[in-house]
Amino acid sequence: MAQIEQSDKGGKGKKGAQKKMAIHVDFTPMVDMNMLLITFFMLCTTMIKSQTLQIALPSNEKVEEAQQNKTKQSEAITLILDTERDADGNVMMDLETGKPKHTVYYYEGKPVVDDENKDGIIDNPNIKVEKFIGNSNTGETFGIRNILHNRNKQVLEKINVQKEKWRNKELTDEEYQALAKDIRNDSTLVRPVVIIKAGPNASYESLISALDEMQINQISRYQIDNINGVDSALIISYKTLNGIK
Amino acid sequence: MGKVKIKRKSTLIDMTAMSDVTVLLLTFFMLTSTFLQKEPATVITPSSVSEIKVPTANLVTILVSGAGVDGDGKRDASVEGKIFISVAGDVDSTFSSENVREAVLIEAVTNYNKLHKNNPVELTNAQVKAFSKLNMFGLKFSELPKFLEMEVAEQDEVMKHLDNPVVGIPIDNNRDMNKPNEFQIWMRAIYNVAEANKDMGNDAFASALRRSGEGIAVKADKDTPYSTIHNVLDNLQTLKLNKFSLMTALKTEQD
Repeated sequence: MAQIEQSDKGGKGKKGAQKKMAIHVDFTPMVDMNMLLITFFMLCTTMIKSQTLQIALPSNEKVEEAQQNKTKQSEAITLILDTERDADGNVMMDLETGKPKHTVYYYEGKPVVDDENKDGIIDNPNIKVEKFIGNSNTGETFGIRNILHNRNKQVLEKINVQKEKWRNKELTDEEYQALAKDIRNDSTLVRPVVIIKAGPNASYESLISALDEMQINQISRYQIDNINGVDSALIISYKTLNGIK
Repeated sequence: MGKVKIKRKSTLIDMTAMSDVTVLLLTFFMLTSTFLQKEPATVITPSSVSEIKVPTANLVTILVSGAGVDGDGKRDASVEGKIFISVAGDVDSTFSSENVREAVLIEAVTNYNKLHKNNPVELTNAQVKAFSKLNMFGLKFSELPKFLEMEVAEQDEVMKHLDNPVVGIPIDNNRDMNKPNEFQIWMRAIYNVAEANKDMGNDAFASALRRSGEGIAVKADKDTPYSTIHNVLDNLQTLKLNKFSLMTALKTEQD
């Protein structure tokens, strides 16, 4: 492997002179071994660390009626999440978009639960349906994001002004974050209170998507709540009235 | 006519430079790598726009297994919703993962035995040591001594079969802290250990658990129904650990 070559030039060299020796060490096996080790480390490492979404839930302790925070009816918007599943419980995919079929039912303010003919179906449920679509490259919003965007317009407009400054390097990251936080919590602006309720079939992904919409739309007041009888009745009525199975 | 002599050239290539490069790359990977942790169930986390990174130290991960696929390619819901817990301490202090896990196990078993006086769980020192080497655990208390006696390969074999009823920490919708379920015993034990360490001057874990919500991460599959996740969230609320984080992968606003 490591050979010592003697330069032999016709034996003309003087007697007693030191012979020049070139030492060649063959590094090929060394490189082979290194490559193997690199491959091992590359396969065993996680370069992308997971992200987290921090949430705070209320504790389960019973709260007196008088102590409960009441939400203004004009500010409240309730999202009810659902995911379509087949008979086995697999999440169904939308063939056009290739995305899972998540549905967002929502109503603003209080639910309307009038049932005059007593057939168990609410006559005019004030419930509407949207989907998680996202926005286009130009910043246009669609689906449920559009609804929430419009509800939180005042906050978003103010934050966008600061965001522009931050993009132009007039503000540092910390300054921008602090300002955005102040705007999000500014009680003089019209801000919605979002109540997120997930149905039993709703996938974890849809819950995360809903929490995501809160982040994207800079909504500071939102709450995860349990689905109740009224909500189920609204959805069933909506489906019956619109002929959805 | 003189023959054209083809000069014989040596084909030796100098590999020294190549070797230099590979050693550099190797050093980079060795220094930056954090190894994939062994987890009993593989889950695909949903993606979100949140950019907060998962901390590496002082973290309790609660893994909720997703549905599997059975032999016919059908959805197998029997392995869904199994709970596993992983505890990571801080490497740079006496509060290392091994020490924390030992303390948690002793605390949890003591509490369990108080509640189940008829069939208590007895552990030897060797078994406690074996437990501290486990990255993620999820087993009934009653099965622990037998499990901790096994070789690592045998343990892996047991954990592989998620449909086995002894695998996964039992959980229900109990809200009565006088009769906690096994998941609640574990979480309470972890909390107590963190509090005990706080008294000894190590505040990081306790504050991560209680105040900021960084200390608890719930990891679940994106297709798992909310009814299963709700059970875990509800238990955490009952334990008054109502600030925590949900593990996600990164996505952009356009998605």
